[in-house]
This record gives sequence, structure tokens and C-alpha cells, in this order.
Amino acid sequence: MNMQLKKGTLFASLAVILAACGTTVSSSSDNSVASSATSVAPEFTTSNNIVLYTRDTTSGTRDGFMGGIGFSTAAKNDSLLTDGFVIADNTAILTAMSGSDKYGIGYVSLSSVNNNVKALDFNNVEASEDTVLDNSYGLKRPFNWMLRADNDFPSATVENISKAFVAFMGTIEGGDTIAGAGAVALNATQRWDDIKASYPVCNQDNSAVTVRFGGSDSIEKVAKAITASFKPRCGNFVAEHEHTGSGDAYKRTNDPAIKDTAVGKDVGFASRNFADAEKKVGDVALPSAQYGQLAWDAIVAIVHKDNPLLNVNGDILKRMYEKASANPIRTWAEALAAEAAL
Amino acid sequence: MTIKTNVTKKWIDQLVEKILFFMALLSASFIVMVVIVIIERGLSPFFSDNDGLGQVNLLRFLTGIVYLDGPTFASNAYGIGYLIISTLYIALLSLLIAMPISIFSALFIAKIAPKPLGNTLRTVTEILAAIPSIVYGLFGAGVILDLVYNLSLIVGVQSSAGFSVLSTVIVLAIMIIPTMTVIAEVAIRAVQKELIHGSLALGATPTQTNFKVVLASAKSGIFTAAILGVGRALGEATAVSLVAGSRRSGISFALFETTATLTSTMLQGMKETVGLDYTIRFSIGLVLMVIILLVNFILNFVKSKVGRVHV
Repeated sequence: MNMQLKKGTLFASLAVILAACGTTVSSSSDNSVASSATSVAPEFTTSNNIVLYTRDTTSGTRDGFMGGIGFSTAAKNDSLLTDGFVIADNTAILTAMSGSDKYGIGYVSLSSVNNNVKALDFNNVEASEDTVLDNSYGLKRPFNWMLRADNDFPSATVENISKAFVAFMGTIEGGDTIAGAGAVALNATQRWDDIKASYPVCNQDNSAVTVRFGGSDSIEKVAKAITASFKPRCGNFVAEHEHTGSGDAYKRTNDPAIKDTAVGKDVGFASRNFADAEKKVGDVALPSAQYGQLAWDAIVAIVHKDNPLLNVNGDILKRMYEKASANPIRTWAEALAAEAAL
Repeated sequence: MTIKTNVTKKWIDQLVEKILFFMALLSASFIVMVVIVIIERGLSPFFSDNDGLGQVNLLRFLTGIVYLDGPTFASNAYGIGYLIISTLYIALLSLLIAMPISIFSALFIAKIAPKPLGNTLRTVTEILAAIPSIVYGLFGAGVILDLVYNLSLIVGVQSSAGFSVLSTVIVLAIMIIPTMTVIAEVAIRAVQKELIHGSLALGATPTQTNFKVVLASAKSGIFTAAILGVGRALGEATAVSLVAGSRRSGISFALFETTATLTSTMLQGMKETVGLDYTIRFSIGLVLMVIILLVNFILNFVKSKVGRVHV
């Protein structure tokens, strides 16, 4: 009897300890909604707290997401995020949203979205390659490139390889490489074989030639994938990558004070639109052939399939993620109310 | 002929001795090199300008409850006080779970199980002890997270997909149980048969003998198992990073809340970072080394006190 009492006390204590170990879940009858009209409608307790998932501060996807929702300051700063967030990689976020966390929200690259999670519309536009390319989907950022000026490269060979590289990015093979690296390539109609005759530099051995790439670190993965794919097509030139940020795309290729120093680059990348000041040197505008876009980086906010939320905008997402928000969204009921007000 | 053979043997002995000395020196020098690099790089954030970011404040670093107050690559306000506490807390909880399971498993394998079963279990345990931590981490991410999440629903607590103190503790406990069992089992098997026979001859039952004589005699070896287990728990990074949730601020003892350890924080974004954000990981490593040394020292002290056999 005494033993049984002890056991009972032990289990009761354990239950109390466990129950005291985190945010309490509201009872399912409280503010529950059915997320579909089918006969087996999953329960979703809207009064539960939102669990935020994010990539770490070195992630380009995080950079794009935070910039896209108007919260750029949080791209590299965890201390600005709402308490209780979970830092996870792409796979872990998808895994959490596809099974174990009904009350979570995260974001992934468009190329990672699968049928096991619910991809949220952004400003009532569904994320897809088509909506990204026709510019209707808003949670995205452009990936741009910039070259040095004509005759300002270390050699004519480097200049010709750089221009051939830009042409390759616009081909079907270049687009496939970009897509394989997780970005949305622009529409391409020509193959490299169709245009390579215009770039005779690629017919020679370029193994002793070094081309310097730099700029946005968010584009580094894509840029490296493209150079890896293009090198064997252009005489196996040496691709030297040093990605230090979008601001350096212009500075290191065209800023007279920097471009000819040791950090100068032949091709620069920026994961945003170039500012007007970056499209000119002094008062002279850069020719349009000297810069352009190679791809889009589209990011999708995702939730569990049982979550009734369908559509968000930058403001809703920012109010969820921002710790110091004047009008914070912390529960799913608040998120659904904000969605209804859109 | 005999003299020549003896000279050759002596020469071979000397050669082998020198080779062994060289190997020992090489192995020791690796450790010295690692320690020097960790110390040199780990201390540099506190004494250098860190590319214009300024020196890291040592007191704030050791006592802070926010990992980085400010933007990455643009702030030097690092703090790992909460990580030190979380790391010790998680290691302690893991040990509390792993210790009894390991000891009783070892006792069963060494003294109670029929010989074929004991041999099989010993082999299985040794294999488990040799499994890389990433495998335990993947098991944790695939199975333990779900279990903990479902448990959280049962007890009425909201968990972040199972990323939690509890998941981390369970994964670490599972990981250190085989290591501790193997060592404890060796210690239990080494208990002198005369002691066991003496206990049985005095009328003690086998169970009384196992618990009051065998375990008491093997206390020292069992403590060694605990020391190695804690060392593994404190130093584990990969498995922890897959189930902890990478908490960035605040001390939490709640079982269903996210957490982080010194090692998992060192690993977070390691491949993508540069500058102070990279170097500061050496500083965390240095702190971890000091903590492991201190914990080992304390456990060895306790071992020296309780390890004496009083059967």
C-alpha cells in the first residue's frame, strides 16, 4: 500500500514537472478550427503560440526572407527575433512543418517546397516559377551580375571569358545549373552550343587564366555552381571566388578607388537591385551590357498542412518574427485575424 | 656467432625503443599543438581589435545570457554564460539517466546473464559504443523528436517539434550508455572471485552479493565509466545540434523548451562564417576544455573519496 502510494506520488510528481516544463497547450476545444471541410477535419488550436523557425545568420535564404518581409535588420541579428525561435536548417524546417510541429512557421527556398507542407501565398499570390518570373510573387529578390568596363580587365582573355560566362548564364544549361543551386533561372531559349561560336576564347586552353568572382555571399553557392559548370566549356579557366557582400559587386568591379586594388574582381554579384549610384562611374552611366540579372531567389513561408492559414504578407510575417513589434502576432488566432484583415 | 646475435638483438631493442619514443612524442605533440592553437586563437578575440569590432569583453562573454547582442559580423557582444549552464545541466541529466541503466546492464552482462547471452550483449554494447555520434543524432532527429513532441502533447505543453532539453538529454543518454556499460562491465568482471565466494559462503544471496559486494568493489571503475560518459556528453556537438533547437538566449531548465550547448553553438553555421564570428568558436572551445578539465577533476576527486572499497 505504502509502495503504491509512493508510486502514485512519483507519477503525479513527474506529470507536474513535465507540465511545468514549457508553454502550456490550450485545450483542443478552446478556439479549435477544422482546417478542411472534409469528413476527417484535423483539429488546430488557434490559441496556441506560433513557433518560429529560422535559418542561422549566415544563411542567404534568411537574408532574402528577412529582406523580403521588410525586416532586413534581423538578417544577421538573432537578438531582434521573437523569443523561443528555433534555428534549423532547410531539411529540419521542412521536417518540422511536414509532421511534428502543427504550430510552427518557417521559410525555405522555392525549390525545396514539397507536398508534405503548406506553402503560404504571399499577398494572395501562390509561389511558383511562373509567378516568380512574371513578377507577381513578391517574396523574392533578384540575383544580379556586373562586369568591369570594356578594356578594364587584367587581359583580353579574362574579358572574353567573363563575357562568355555572362552569356552562358542566359542559356538553358546555365539556367539548369542555377535551378540546381536553388534559385529560379530566367527564361532561356538558346543552348550553349548555339552561341559558343561567338566566344572563340572558349576554344583555347585557359587553364593558366584566372577570372575573379565576388560580391554577394548569398549568391556564392549559385556562382560557384555556374563557374563549375562553365569551366570545362571554356578552356578550364581558374575561377577564384571571394564573396563579401552585394555592396562589393559594384565597388570591386567599377569603383575607381577599389577596382584596381588586390581585392578587385572581374565579375561581381549582388542579391538586390543595383542602386542608381552603382549604375554609373562619376557622372558616366554604365552601359546596359555591363550589368544584368541572372536569376531570382524566391522564398516561401511554410506551415503544417493542418494549419488553416493560407495567405500572408510581409507585415504579418514581420509582426510574427519581430520581438519589439508594436503590434505583435504571437498566436495563430492573431495570425488568422491578420489574414482576414488583408 | 652468439655475440653477434646478442648485439643484433640489442640493436633491435634500441631501435624499437626509439621508434616507440618517437611515436609517443608525436602523439603528445599533436595534443600540445591542438591545445596551443585553441589557446592562441581562443584568446585572440579578447586582446585584438577583431577587424575594427573591438575587443570582446571577457566578463560579458563568460556570464552573458544572449549569444550575440547585435548583428553577426558587426558586433562583438558575445555571451555564453547561459550555454555553460545549459551544457552542464544537460550533461548532468544525461548522466542521471545513463548511470543506473549502464550499471545494471553491466552487472547483468558480467554476473547474471548466461555466458552466451552475456557475450552477445557485450559484443552488441561494444558495437553501440563505436557507432559515430551522427548516427545517434539522426536517430534523435527521426525518432526522439517525434516521441518528445507527442509526449509534450500528452502532458499539455507546447513543444517546438520536439527540439528540446529532453530530446537532447535522451539522445546523449542513449549515446553514452554503451560507453559507460562497457567500462563498468570490465570493472565488475575484475572484482575478485574470493570476495564474491566469501559473501556467498557467509549466507548472502546472489542478489545481495551483486549489489553489496560486487558493485561496491567496482565503484572505482564505475566512476571511471561516469567520467568518460560525462566527457562524451559534454563534448558532443553533432547529435546535439540535430535535436536541441539552437537556443540563442536565456537559461531554460524546462524540459520541453529549446536549448543549446557550447559544442552545438560552435558548430552552428561554422562552414559559412568568417572573422570574429569564426574565431569566437575557438574561445568557446577553450571554455569547454576548461569545463571538461574541471568536471574531470571534481569527478576524480569524488572517485578517490567514494572509490575506496569498504565491503
